[in-house]
Amino acid sequence: MRMNADRFTVSAEEYLAESSALFYLNDAVTQLLEHREEFIQFGIGRYFAEYFTSVKNGSHILFREFSYVKGTAHNRTSFIHIFWKCFRQIGKNRDLLTMMEYTSLLQLLCPDFPAEMLQNTAKIVLMEDAVDCPMSLSDFIYSFQIQFYFEEFLESVLVIYEDLLEGKNPNAVIVPTSESPETISSEETDVQEGVDSSVLLKCIEGLCERFKHKHPPLPAIKEALESCTRVSYYGFLMALAKHEGISQEIGALPNRSDLLIDPEMDQELERLVAQVAISPTSNSSSSAQGLKEPCRKPSPRKSLHQRKRIEMESDGSTEETDSSEN
Amino acid sequence: MAEKRRSGSAAEPKAVKAESDEEFLCQAGVGSQLRAALLKLVEARPEDPIGFLAEHFTNEASETESVGGGDAGDGDGDALEEQQMNKALWHLRLAHHSQRSAFNNNIRVAYDLLSRCGSARRVPGGVQGRLYTEMLRCVCSDSGLLDAAAATLLHHLQCHDYEAVPFELFRQAVLTCTSFSEYIRRARCLYAAVACPSDRPAERGLCDAVLNALREALDTSHGPDASRYLEASAKISPTELARAMAETRGASREREGPGMDMREFEDAAAGLFLARVRVVH
Repeated sequence: MRMNADRFTVSAEEYLAESSALFYLNDAVTQLLEHREEFIQFGIGRYFAEYFTSVKNGSHILFREFSYVKGTAHNRTSFIHIFWKCFRQIGKNRDLLTMMEYTSLLQLLCPDFPAEMLQNTAKIVLMEDAVDCPMSLSDFIYSFQIQFYFEEFLESVLVIYEDLLEGKNPNAVIVPTSESPETISSEETDVQEGVDSSVLLKCIEGLCERFKHKHPPLPAIKEALESCTRVSYYGFLMALAKHEGISQEIGALPNRSDLLIDPEMDQELERLVAQVAISPTSNSSSSAQGLKEPCRKPSPRKSLHQRKRIEMESDGSTEETDSSEN
Repeated sequence: MAEKRRSGSAAEPKAVKAESDEEFLCQAGVGSQLRAALLKLVEARPEDPIGFLAEHFTNEASETESVGGGDAGDGDGDALEEQQMNKALWHLRLAHHSQRSAFNNNIRVAYDLLSRCGSARRVPGGVQGRLYTEMLRCVCSDSGLLDAAAATLLHHLQCHDYEAVPFELFRQAVLTCTSFSEYIRRARCLYAAVACPSDRPAERGLCDAVLNALREALDTSHGPDASRYLEASAKISPTELARAMAETRGASREREGPGMDMREFEDAAAGLFLARVRVVH
């Protein structure tokens, strides 16, 4: 998280609000109160030091509740990054997973991660139909990133979009804030036709002002909308997901071409695989097929091509996966 | 971290009665710790607030732990001194020196930290000369200066180990070191701009022209500060530099003049600056 140079010209309150320091201090104290016996022994000063070090490193969001994970921009970035680190191997194996399967992977990291967010992500990848289709990791993760990182902004864009579809005058539209879920659920309107990109862009420009900087950079939005004259909501989101500039701005994922490249982790894996191959209990054929994870997922999962391997051990909370079999 | 939190209350339940949250926080001194941290944060306004808090709490924790360990025996003095030194340096790095009020503030914090150092050998009225010189050396080496240039600067600024350094001298010296590093960085950029195909050394004639412009800018020494700054910046404005370089080009028509390497240019530029640093003694 980087603050810019005008941090010296704003008031102390504004600086604090921008830094989300209070959010973290609040959470740190709450955690402290919940586990006070433990942390008294640990040393309270040391506890705060560890807490903020983990926030800095981005490991603080692991296994935390969803409201915390989405609480700050830094938390969202950290979560996307950790998801990528943990499940990168799926992409390397060219496995395709369904939305439900991605949901259970996410829930390994954040137990109450809402499935709804994944439905929206699947709509971006699959252009709103056939949301049960399997998706590649790279298609999924960039769309997920847009959906998760800019959730509130995109909800407001959807409201605008639907108003435009109904032919309302966009300038007269008073857009409700993100806390109005009932307006968002009306998705059965005919989105195939789409709306005029330039009109949508005008409305989004106004929206961006209200969102301060919690929106994708305007030049990137322009680029995404300029490519064609009419655009559907999910087409627009797809263009955002594919925009490398936006991804760089978020800073959680490498460029698409580098998504599966991580020589350090590959080496570590190879080392582990070699260990497993040497040990007498292992199946000797495993090394012939290239990289294999040392640990298999214990829970029953439908495998789309042959097998599914992930780097993390399951905590068993993935029963929902089975419902994706059809 | 999270796992630690999850691992439940395996620790032996201390005599924590049905103590209310407020009582607990108050007793543990959490409120004052957080207040101190927030004040520091708002005061320094670091670019990376979370990193700042992490570092701040780590500093605080290691301080209380070391105080708890051995009670300020003289053997711990060196460790404590090093800790204070690191803290002081950390504060100096928080804001760029162009953010003058924030930077001055951080210098003050660093000064207070260092003047509290080594209470046994404490000199009244300021930071020990030894610590002062040591700290300037760290500031210089942090900022990637060449050893030779840094040594000359330090030679100008240092004072005797037994002397006490007053705040104003301390501030000026720190500011000089950071400005000098910045100046050298800019000089390197200038050289890179002059040496246009970057694989060959820059033309000596062009370098001399640039160094001359630099010298003239540094020589604006009359009048009030504000007008001096304006005059100096006018003298090394891009157009002015371009004009000086174009003139040299016009005078000598032959294409392949003698070259000047980066090191020589940097030394010459450093010399201009160093000649204007007042020697402390």
